[in-house]
Amino acid sequence: MNLIVLYLLLLKATLTSFSGMASLPVVRNDFVVERHLLTDRQLNTAVVAGRTGPGPNGLYVVSVGYFVDALPGAFAAFLALITPAFLVIPMMRWLRERAGTPRIRSAIQAVILASAGLLLASSIPLAGDAITGYVPLAIVAVTFVVLSFTRVDSAWLMLGAAVVGLVAARA
Amino acid sequence: MAALQRELIERKGWIRQDDFALAYSLARITPGTNLLAFCAATGARILGLWGALVAVLAISVPSTVLTVLITAGYETWRSNASVTAAVGGTVAAVVGMMWASVWLLVSPHLRRPMQVLRALIFTGGAFLAVWKLGLTPVQVIALAALLGFLWKEPAAE
Repeated sequence: MNLIVLYLLLLKATLTSFSGMASLPVVRNDFVVERHLLTDRQLNTAVVAGRTGPGPNGLYVVSVGYFVDALPGAFAAFLALITPAFLVIPMMRWLRERAGTPRIRSAIQAVILASAGLLLASSIPLAGDAITGYVPLAIVAVTFVVLSFTRVDSAWLMLGAAVVGLVAARA
Repeated sequence: MAALQRELIERKGWIRQDDFALAYSLARITPGTNLLAFCAATGARILGLWGALVAVLAISVPSTVLTVLITAGYETWRSNASVTAAVGGTVAAVVGMMWASVWLLVSPHLRRPMQVLRALIFTGGAFLAVWKLGLTPVQVIALAALLGFLWKEPAAE
């Protein structure tokens, strides 16, 4: 795949989201549904890889880039990940006063809420792939509760889930 | 964030508390990863464009390298039964993590009945628009922005 196209597709995903994971529906639509460059399983693995180490939430796009075109793909994805961040500089100049206006704030909140709905829709096929028995179901439930209501780092949950998956497979 | 706040404001004195707060609030409404936008804003406030560049690279390059190594590791060892079992467990955790992300995005907007109704309409509407109507995520986001602009959030009034 052309690296510029890869960069632009991932940039579209990062530019249309307001948190790291919220770009996932756009990525899935472009890479899994439309272009068949990734499988749901690979996308799942990319999210795992992005969350296993420390760093910002959106790092999974680097892993997506790596799956599509190895190291050059990862580099293009890295650029797509960091590019939107620099929008904050002109925004600091031009949106300093407007950011607090009710309608702009309201539009942003609506986008955040819609992002949640999109993320939920994206999770359905991934859940079908992941929940293959009681053990994965328990892992899903525990991860949801712990991440929603405590401040435990997700890397620890990933590690714990890997150990549980390993033990369950050998049992 | 707390560590950066302590280091940049209290220990180094490089930026003021209100500049830090402005960078934080603008980063929240900047597309993409909020933490990267926050670092760009803070770096720009301290050293201009070069400061923004250095700050973003400093926070993202080490973790990006680590992510590539982890991904490559998965690729290399994916035929190994133990690795497959371990990845199977972590994939289940990803689903729980996604549902937790949904909850964390929605829950701050559930304080009053009108907010709950609004959250249900936007979140549920976006879910159905993609799942049942076949709209693309970008179309849904554009529609949500327009409707959100027209229908003010109750707390904002």
